[in-house]
Amino acid sequence: MYSYIVRRMGFGLITIVGVSIIVFVVMRILPGDPLVAIFGPEGYTKLSEADRLGYMKQLGLSDPLYIQYLHWMGDIANGSFGHSFFRSESVAEMIGRRGPLTAEIGILAVAFSWLIGIPVAIVSALRPNSLPDNVARFISILCLAVPGFWVGMLIVLASLFWFGYRAPLTGASLFVDPWSNFQIVIGPAVVLGMGQAAYIARMARSSLLEVIREDYVRTARAKGLNARLVIIWHALPNALLPVITLSGILLGFVLAGSIPVERAFGTPGLGSAMFSAVGERDVFVMQNLVFLYAVVFVVLNILVDLIIAWLDPRIRYA
Amino acid sequence: MSATLTLPGRLGRGILYFARRAPMSAFWGVVALAILIMAITAPVIAPFDPVKSDFRAMSKPPYEKHVFGTDQIGRDTLSRVIHGSRASLTVAVSAVLLGTTVGALWGLASGYFGGRFDIFSQRILEFLQSFPDLILAMAIAMALGAGTGTVILAIAITRIPFGGRVIRAVVLSLKELQYVEAARGLGASHARMMFRHILPQCIAPYLILATTHLGVAIIIEASLGFLGVGIPPPTPTWGNMLSDALNAGLIPPWWLVLFPGLAISITVLAFNLLGDGVRDVLDPRLRGAV
Repeated sequence: MYSYIVRRMGFGLITIVGVSIIVFVVMRILPGDPLVAIFGPEGYTKLSEADRLGYMKQLGLSDPLYIQYLHWMGDIANGSFGHSFFRSESVAEMIGRRGPLTAEIGILAVAFSWLIGIPVAIVSALRPNSLPDNVARFISILCLAVPGFWVGMLIVLASLFWFGYRAPLTGASLFVDPWSNFQIVIGPAVVLGMGQAAYIARMARSSLLEVIREDYVRTARAKGLNARLVIIWHALPNALLPVITLSGILLGFVLAGSIPVERAFGTPGLGSAMFSAVGERDVFVMQNLVFLYAVVFVVLNILVDLIIAWLDPRIRYA
Repeated sequence: MSATLTLPGRLGRGILYFARRAPMSAFWGVVALAILIMAITAPVIAPFDPVKSDFRAMSKPPYEKHVFGTDQIGRDTLSRVIHGSRASLTVAVSAVLLGTTVGALWGLASGYFGGRFDIFSQRILEFLQSFPDLILAMAIAMALGAGTGTVILAIAITRIPFGGRVIRAVVLSLKELQYVEAARGLGASHARMMFRHILPQCIAPYLILATTHLGVAIIIEASLGFLGVGIPPPTPTWGNMLSDALNAGLIPPWWLVLFPGLAISITVLAFNLLGDGVRDVLDPRLRGAV
């Protein structure tokens, strides 16, 4: 088990380095001139030559690229993640202030997707191709096609229209003001959770149908156990393994999906920060946030792999 | 089943076969086709010019003249939704074709040659797949500046790993087959082996990949538009229309929110179900794998 953990972490580290290089290439080299990325093509032509040199020097952009890359790694290592081009706070402070909301949304969304997805999958798998199964599948297909941020806009609009209600717009910490915090995160979490529930229900259904066909399930049934108990106690634990893996991947996608959804709800989380960074063409914030999201995604996948290895001895000893 | 059938005849037979095997998907395929036709004929069927303001009808809810209402500067929402399909489909189709093709060729080479090149390619694809696709697309679109070409490129890059992985796996299993070995025994060149003997077997998984990813590509395109890094206004896209609606005031008018979103949902639904059908008919074993 230990060698597996070490190997998995080693690969994870390589991936994170690779990811940082891709982020650097995309954000710093792809635009050609970073000043073009910051000021936009029109703004760039309005800068004088001296302005350009001044900005390049001030931002450390006149150094060779590998030095710039190492500088950035240094900023990450000392925990500041560099500074925003437009704001005084460091990117790390911004993440500390806004990250918790987005993390809450992500965790709630995954919890919600399990609460909805697994029971639906059990009902579907108990009687495949029955009416409830087909209804569940149709709804899950629908959930996959409808963009979450649009549903978010509709919810905000409907609650304003019918109840004159709008979730508070300023951030509130879970510990200081739990009620307004709950009002802020519940909308995005439900919207993102619905989309994930569709994936979870699909995966759990097909996984359950596969496990149900196995010999040990037939044995359990032959012993005279109730069909429902067989599914819940014998088949479900094994069927959940692929669902756990999928959930880890989905959590990464929830974090990405929360960027437009947070904009739709006006949630002051990390996704909104990303949206403003894009709008302001703040390359430095963007670079760090993109890297952060990718690292979270990689770490989540490692965690999921370790959980699976812990739960499934076939992987641990392979 | 005679060899005398012409190409249109064979195509017709293929479509009939598809319709019998997957009637639900065939129906949504027709819907997808209708949306495609709407996109092509947009200038003819749209009742108004999508970028022209009518200052006598600003922020009007739906009524007889403007059945989907107008936005805050008096542009007809119906015409804008119809024209929006062009941006959406152009981007989705080109991005998926570009990304899947590059990925497939890469996967073909990497699976065929194996060795160090394969290990290196696998790592690169893994790095690319370590980003949630929307975030990678956002970063690339922002770095390159707004425009149709950039959005296509940004979405295409996020599709490369899928093509690469799936086609590589197919190639790895094909490589061991006897007919390929026989070709090698006859002294075929690498290029001949790859393109003449292996590539044709990859067409089914390629088609499955391409059709199943269209829906995702449309959603990413709309999200990019909504986040302000898609095709810039005044060109109407469903994403930037929704973004405009949010900027239209404290309470966005419902008709500016409802119709573009419905257009996205119906289009994605149509392409997703068409993709499911293509997958089931072409290769039932790949159910759930792609």
